Amino acid sequence: MSPPDTPPIRPRDAQLRPLMWCAAAFLGGVLLQVDRIPLWATMTACVCTGWSIAVCARRMRLPRRSLKGALALALTAAVVAMFHTLNGLEAGTTLLAAMGSVKLLEAYRRRDRYIVLGVALFLLLAACLSRQSLPCAPLYAAEAWLCCSALVVAAHPESSLGSRAAVLLAGRSLLIALPLAVLAFLFFPRLSGSLWALPEAGAAATGLSDTLAPGGISDLSESSDPAFRAWFDGPPPPPAERYWRGPVLHYFDGYTWSRVPPQWLGAAAPATSATAAVPATSVALAAPATSAARLYRYRVALEPSSNRWWLALDTVVSPPSGAVRMTSDRVLVGARPVTEPIAYTAVSDTAWRGLDPTAARLPDPTTARLLGRDLQLPPHRNPRSVELGRRLRSEAPSDAAFARSVLEFFRTGGFRYTLTPPRLGEDSVDEFLFGARRGFCGHFASAFVTLMRSGGIPARVVTGYLGGEWNPIGRYLLIRQSDAHAWAEVWLPGRGWTRIDPTAVVAPERLTRGIGEFLPGAASAPERLLLNLPWIASIREAWDASNAWWTNEVIGFDTKAQLGLLRRLGIATPSPDQLGWALALCLIGWLAVTGLQLGRLPRPPRPDRLARAYRRLCLKLARVGAPRALDEGPIAYADSIARRRPDLAPTARVLLASYAQLRFGPESAGTRASRLADFERAVARWRIPRRRPAPRPRLKTPRPRSARASRGT
Amino acid sequence: MSTHPASERRDPADPADPGEPGEPGNAALGRARSALETVILGKPRQVRLCLACLLARGHLLIEDVPGVGKTTLAHALAHVLGLAWQRVQFTSDLLPADIIGVSVFDRATQQFRFRKGPIFTQLLLADEVNRASPRTQSALLEAMEERQVSVDLTTYRLPDPFFVVATENPHEELGTFALPESQLDRFLMRITLGYPEARFERELLRKGERRDLLAEMPSALDASSVVRIQQAVRAVHVSDALLDYVQRLVQQTRERADLKLGLSPRAGQGLIRAAQAWAYLAERSAVLPEDVQAVLPSVAAHRLEQREPASAVDGESLAADLLKRVPVPI
Repeated sequence: MSPPDTPPIRPRDAQLRPLMWCAAAFLGGVLLQVDRIPLWATMTACVCTGWSIAVCARRMRLPRRSLKGALALALTAAVVAMFHTLNGLEAGTTLLAAMGSVKLLEAYRRRDRYIVLGVALFLLLAACLSRQSLPCAPLYAAEAWLCCSALVVAAHPESSLGSRAAVLLAGRSLLIALPLAVLAFLFFPRLSGSLWALPEAGAAATGLSDTLAPGGISDLSESSDPAFRAWFDGPPPPPAERYWRGPVLHYFDGYTWSRVPPQWLGAAAPATSATAAVPATSVALAAPATSAARLYRYRVALEPSSNRWWLALDTVVSPPSGAVRMTSDRVLVGARPVTEPIAYTAVSDTAWRGLDPTAARLPDPTTARLLGRDLQLPPHRNPRSVELGRRLRSEAPSDAAFARSVLEFFRTGGFRYTLTPPRLGEDSVDEFLFGARRGFCGHFASAFVTLMRSGGIPARVVTGYLGGEWNPIGRYLLIRQSDAHAWAEVWLPGRGWTRIDPTAVVAPERLTRGIGEFLPGAASAPERLLLNLPWIASIREAWDASNAWWTNEVIGFDTKAQLGLLRRLGIATPSPDQLGWALALCLIGWLAVTGLQLGRLPRPPRPDRLARAYRRLCLKLARVGAPRALDEGPIAYADSIARRRPDLAPTARVLLASYAQLRFGPESAGTRASRLADFERAVARWRIPRRRPAPRPRLKTPRPRSARASRGT
Repeated sequence: MSTHPASERRDPADPADPGEPGEPGNAALGRARSALETVILGKPRQVRLCLACLLARGHLLIEDVPGVGKTTLAHALAHVLGLAWQRVQFTSDLLPADIIGVSVFDRATQQFRFRKGPIFTQLLLADEVNRASPRTQSALLEAMEERQVSVDLTTYRLPDPFFVVATENPHEELGTFALPESQLDRFLMRITLGYPEARFERELLRKGERRDLLAEMPSALDASSVVRIQQAVRAVHVSDALLDYVQRLVQQTRERADLKLGLSPRAGQGLIRAAQAWAYLAERSAVLPEDVQAVLPSVAAHRLEQREPASAVDGESLAADLLKRVPVPI
């Protein structure tokens, strides 16, 4: 008494080994997703794997069909309840993992194992879609290898192919396929635009925000993730000039700096908002005003973040082409958030001091209004600072002298640079200037701009990055999130917007030595010593260089890069047709090389006339329900025909005996040719009557044991 | 076992019937076979394999539990083939000299004279061969391979034909020396008899000792006709296609990862000789794949061993598996 879906009991090992491989491949696929799918899905996969292996190893009964059905329904319901959809990368992956787990519970046939392995490969594909960083690549390769090994084992369930041999065979097959994969990667026509960029669900990428509050930059300082990398045409700028301009903040509420007043957000932004585009003429006029222009042309590869800022060396004179525009405060704003790595080329002039001709000539009403915005201060906040600013301005002969006196105040006022400042209250500038006197770039910039504005000078906070680490292997500058910085810009009549970095006055070493010195975490001496060891540093550099190569050349291999490659190969304006031809040619080449390689293996000889005639005979007999097993010789075949179709036996015996004599008998050259012709003719002429109802021809009919024992006499 | 006698299958009108040995030995062989089958009831396949083994000039190892007729079979073989035979009961204190012979000093001639041991016979029945010490075993086995014996710088040729039929009891392990693989390889075939079927057992129980029948039975052959038949067996045609098949079978045993050892070239030669003998017994002038398939379990089983003893699959099923895997050449 067994339910209809109880599997047949088979030799244990023949079942268990392929199942273990399949389970391992499937679990590997699930583990690649472990941080993207809910915990219960991973748990389900683990439990079902253990269950199916236990069932196979201990010969327990597999769960009944009703239970499996209920489980599948419940898991689908759980996915829907959690994601409210079955679409999308995460919901789909979760559903796939859950259904694969249930399938594993009935993977006692080869076909079922193939399905589980298909699911595992699909999970691998999903992992490739969601994460493409360099450290993941070996994991993906290992999982692909595991899946292929499991496929090899599953394809030979009862064979003697050992696990080692299976792994080696899978590895060899993958290696053979590798050139093909590379060719397809290089030449397969690419769709411009990112088909693969699936919407990210609340990615918490770090990056510059468009607000600055006490403590904000410090969060960034703790992240050593790369922000972007820059390759220069020529030598890089000296450390003191490596200011990378990000969002410019105009509005201050006494505690937080932001780009626009909060009440503007959500409403239609006024035409004169900070994000208003600079007219093209203005950009053209912004060409270097001083003869001592220090121009740098460079390429930036920006890491993904949740923001739209495109970072550029201060100050951009020729913005990059693409979906980006430059605002009046010379910030590059992309059309979309940078959700995937992008690269662009820009030209900057570090000596450009913002002598904005339109502003210098005054009073252009728009410029005046823009300048007025940078005089804003929240009423009734930070009264002591406002008072100080007014006093210092009244004592100074000029705006420039005023700025110098404020800087002097910072230098002599007992201020200290630290990344772990005390918490500040509502009147943050007052508390900072007259209380704590400890802080980092954000505090100094905020206080400086407040003082300037109190003195009636237009000023604004600029956030971005300062510095960068030169990577001698990749010959590029690596800017990490921890290099985030904030400084000030003041508008001086006749000079325009001028960069002033109050932090540099307090902590000049911040400019030259990077932020690492100030990090609270890395402050412990042994750790810093370790990080500064030359060989560790070189390993880090090599690692980052390979990461950069991966991001630029592999992940970032887009239509443009493909066109560039093709141009170097001599195809100037490739059409999809030409790409297809190139791909086909490469494919043929690959097939030729691989075929030659495989062709060295011994191959069965081409069937001769006799073999072809014999095959025809076997085929004819198979069609009427008497197929030949592969291990049946002519006499044994005749016996098997006699059992199945006694009516055919006499003719079949004559023909098969004739074949046996031709194939295995002594060769007598004289008569052989005529006998062979006779045999061919007899085979061709034999019209075998179909028995009614015709039994279905089965190519591999298991024969009873007794039949085997009596064979061969 | 339901064999179809050759006569039933052969159609006089069939011009392509493979084979007409036309030897005078054939009728005698048929008599020998039926005589053996009356002594060993219900085991026609084993009887036929034994005959094939001896006709292929091979030595035979009979492995089974006591009391199933191993010794009777050996007796009957010797008697029916009309050969001179000797029997040596192997024990742990048996010395090589006890088999091969010993040089004794002859006072009359003042010289050493070689007194031949029991091995100088046409059929040697080595009973319980695994009880003797390895030294004695190897003395016997060397003689088997070389068909000659060297004592005191003199080489004595063994008579022709020369067969060794050895028996061993696989289940008794105390005080036995299992034959190592290199020596097992020298036996062309190993067969097991097994318990008889119920109806044959009943007949055995009713009629009592079968060995007594031998005395009344005339010999079907004699030594010279055995040699003639052996030569005829060698003449049975072996086609290239069949050699391909045997090579593939042997190759397969060497490629399998779960086997300790593949089949040796000697085993391959033996396989072809045995298949020739089998074809001869079936009155065919050429070897067919079916002949190879029929003898392969007996020829290969004792030479194949699985690597992992835990999943002990015996040689017979390994051989059957081997046959299933290798397609017959077409």
